[in-house]
Amino acid sequence: MNLPAVAIVGLGATEFSKNSGRSEMQLACEAAHAAVQDSGLTGSDIDGMATFSMDNNWEIEIHRQIGGQELRFFARTEFGGGGALGPFAHAVSAIQTGQCQAAIIYRAMNERSGLRFGSGEIMNMNTLNPDMIHFSHYFPTGFMTPAAWIAMCTRRYMHKYGATSEDFGRIAVSMRDFAASNPAAFFYQQPLTLEQHQQSKLIADPLRLFDCCQESDGAVAFVVTSLERARDLPNTPVEIASVRQCAVPASRQITPFYHADIAHFPEFDALSCDLFRRADTAPNELDFACLYDHFTPAILPQLEAFGFCAPGEAADFVKDGHISRGGKLPVNTNGGQLGEAYIHGLNGIAEVVRQMRGTSANQLERSDQALVTAGAGVPTGAAILRKQA
Amino acid sequence: MNLPQQVKVGDELPELPIPITARQIVAGAIASQDFEDVHHDKAAANQKGTPDIFMNILTTNGLVGRYLSDWAGPTVRIRRISLKLGAPNYPGDTMVMSGQVTAVQDNELEIAFKGKNGLGNHVTGTGYLTLEESA
Amino acid sequence: MNTALSDLEQAIEPLRKRYIGQRVGPYLAWNKVSRTQIWQWCAAMGDTHPEYLGGETAIAPPTMLQSWTFRDVHGDYAPGSTDQNTYEVLGKLDELGYFGSVAVSYDQQYLEYLHEGDHVHSFSTISDISALKNTALGTGCFVTELAEYFRQDKTLIGTATITYLKYQPNQTSTGAPPSSPRKIERIRPVENTDSQHYWQGLRDGKLLIQQCSDCDVSRHPPQPMCEACQSINWHTVESTRRGKIYSFTSIHHPEIPPFDSPNCIVLVDLDEGVRIAAQITGVKYDELKIGMPVRANIVEVQKGLSLPIFEVEQ
Repeated sequence: MNLPAVAIVGLGATEFSKNSGRSEMQLACEAAHAAVQDSGLTGSDIDGMATFSMDNNWEIEIHRQIGGQELRFFARTEFGGGGALGPFAHAVSAIQTGQCQAAIIYRAMNERSGLRFGSGEIMNMNTLNPDMIHFSHYFPTGFMTPAAWIAMCTRRYMHKYGATSEDFGRIAVSMRDFAASNPAAFFYQQPLTLEQHQQSKLIADPLRLFDCCQESDGAVAFVVTSLERARDLPNTPVEIASVRQCAVPASRQITPFYHADIAHFPEFDALSCDLFRRADTAPNELDFACLYDHFTPAILPQLEAFGFCAPGEAADFVKDGHISRGGKLPVNTNGGQLGEAYIHGLNGIAEVVRQMRGTSANQLERSDQALVTAGAGVPTGAAILRKQA
Repeated sequence: MNLPQQVKVGDELPELPIPITARQIVAGAIASQDFEDVHHDKAAANQKGTPDIFMNILTTNGLVGRYLSDWAGPTVRIRRISLKLGAPNYPGDTMVMSGQVTAVQDNELEIAFKGKNGLGNHVTGTGYLTLEESA
Repeated sequence: MNTALSDLEQAIEPLRKRYIGQRVGPYLAWNKVSRTQIWQWCAAMGDTHPEYLGGETAIAPPTMLQSWTFRDVHGDYAPGSTDQNTYEVLGKLDELGYFGSVAVSYDQQYLEYLHEGDHVHSFSTISDISALKNTALGTGCFVTELAEYFRQDKTLIGTATITYLKYQPNQTSTGAPPSSPRKIERIRPVENTDSQHYWQGLRDGKLLIQQCSDCDVSRHPPQPMCEACQSINWHTVESTRRGKIYSFTSIHHPEIPPFDSPNCIVLVDLDEGVRIAAQITGVKYDELKIGMPVRANIVEVQKGLSLPIFEVEQ
């Protein structure tokens, strides 16, 4: 089946901050409107909307305010940051099947000034919803922050391969190096040393403060449409060469404790081959990657799952500088969620678009093809994006 | 009684539960000459947005001093107490003091302490003690 | 900082210029250090340390430092004190709407202990007025005071650095005064028809593991259908509560009340072949190891809520 290609043509974002001073709806409207303006389309051209289940802004509210007319497609994806690429999968399918012509993908959150995921107050309520039934097996023990949940996987990775906290520190140092030269990053002009990382306080052993992404307010939005139409629009089209979601039988909502081996993220292992096959490319043909970095150790199994190095060798791959400035696979050139901001993965996808347009603050010489991933430790997704002439 | 040579980093101080009553709060406020109304007048406390009277910082400090010197024994000199307040101490609660030795140099000790009540940590901080040789 | 805060900042800047660094005093103690006042303090604090009241000359607990030169019950300073009010800046902040006031930190150095008969005086300096911040209580700034305490012979006997938060209390939509303080409890599990047996089992002192009645595969956490054979017939078996640590973490920050910190959590592979997440106690966080044999006790942690809590098996 030869499906029409779909591309990202518009990008919009608010500033990233610790206190936006405005509602999440306003953030969503601002980013979505900016994305539409950037794309060369108008609000009335937008007939599809896709976002995360965790987003608090209804599709129809944003669509109406950006000047939308008839909304013909709307869809949401579950599982927190694991849902970062689901909206792209939805929009691509909807455009390919003619359900809509141009869709906005958006995520807006006051995660720092509003409900902080790391505060232990996430979903502190007592109702018969699926979240609470699920989290009932963890919250009553105080096991209730993403850092603590992911720390369990990190511990097993260390046990299996001998990785150390310093290995995670080198990832933080690399991301903060990119952030230091990105004016949009929270840690702009604030690089980190390995020593500072090692001295930072324990959050959930073995995770230290600088292993953790930031808490952020902000919004990011994209406009996607067919590649054919994209060629008539002003921006360099960024083709969604392949996008895949994945869960496996032992997958759980950010409590990935029941896989036989939790040192890895089996969702990524399972989708990797198919992702490359559909994009007709291979790991060594990619120029860079934006990998989901809620916590530094999550980078390691991802480098292995996508074939950039063999299982157990990711710490050395990092140590050899391959993911850093000037390396063979620069990772998170915006500074990542550790260094730029935590907008549930969408700001990493935005960085891929900027790199392919030639407008990144840390512009690479070659940035034609990249991998992006959604949340780790949850049912998740990944995509390969490709610059089109 | 603790002798300096017997104390080592990591030693834990026994926990001390302190019942927080209106009587305790008012007695502490008056003994410390603190007549702010939020420490003895419930209606005034309500008006300022708190659900009840609450313990003043001097009483907290006094209780911390008692906790540290009770553990260290008669030859102790308290040289410094540095503390941060968190959840208020309201009547009806219990504050459990705990502590751990974090540094020992000659006869000087550093203790990290914590007073936890039903709302969270009321006080966290560091005490600096000298243990004098007994005469 | 957003624009709203920077506008408000402009009103505070003149206060910084006027008050920071101005040392005022002396403030005299109303009374000489006396056995009576020491006794009242020790009684209120429950402090029975023998040094204070045990000897012929009473010695003051050093933590009494700040109380010596406080105003009396009418708000008056002792005769001979300066007329200048070191807290005038707090009144100015009240006028700007930051009328909420709470002491947030305290740092006292005790250079000399005071004896019965000593007479204290003090000087006070506002050392800092912070930038406006959004805090849990409301928007406000931190005001830091440095107080120095002297004996009658002008010996510096101690210093106190006190930081107050002056804030505009957060508005609530109802405006109603808060009710009684709520003790923070563990979040209670939601019990539905799929999981009620598990929580009830714990209340009965048993750790129950679901087992498929058709293919005998055990499972945890509870779910209605066997993922191996799709049977909806199941029963429970009582766990021996023994197993080995599969992975572990200890939660240091943030401290989440009512839990102790660090709060040690383990994933345990139970002998029954399922994995379970639970707390572990009686072991230091840095002594936990993968593979350690553990056994759970069923503990009623809160009225009507019982949980398995592991300890290392000797």
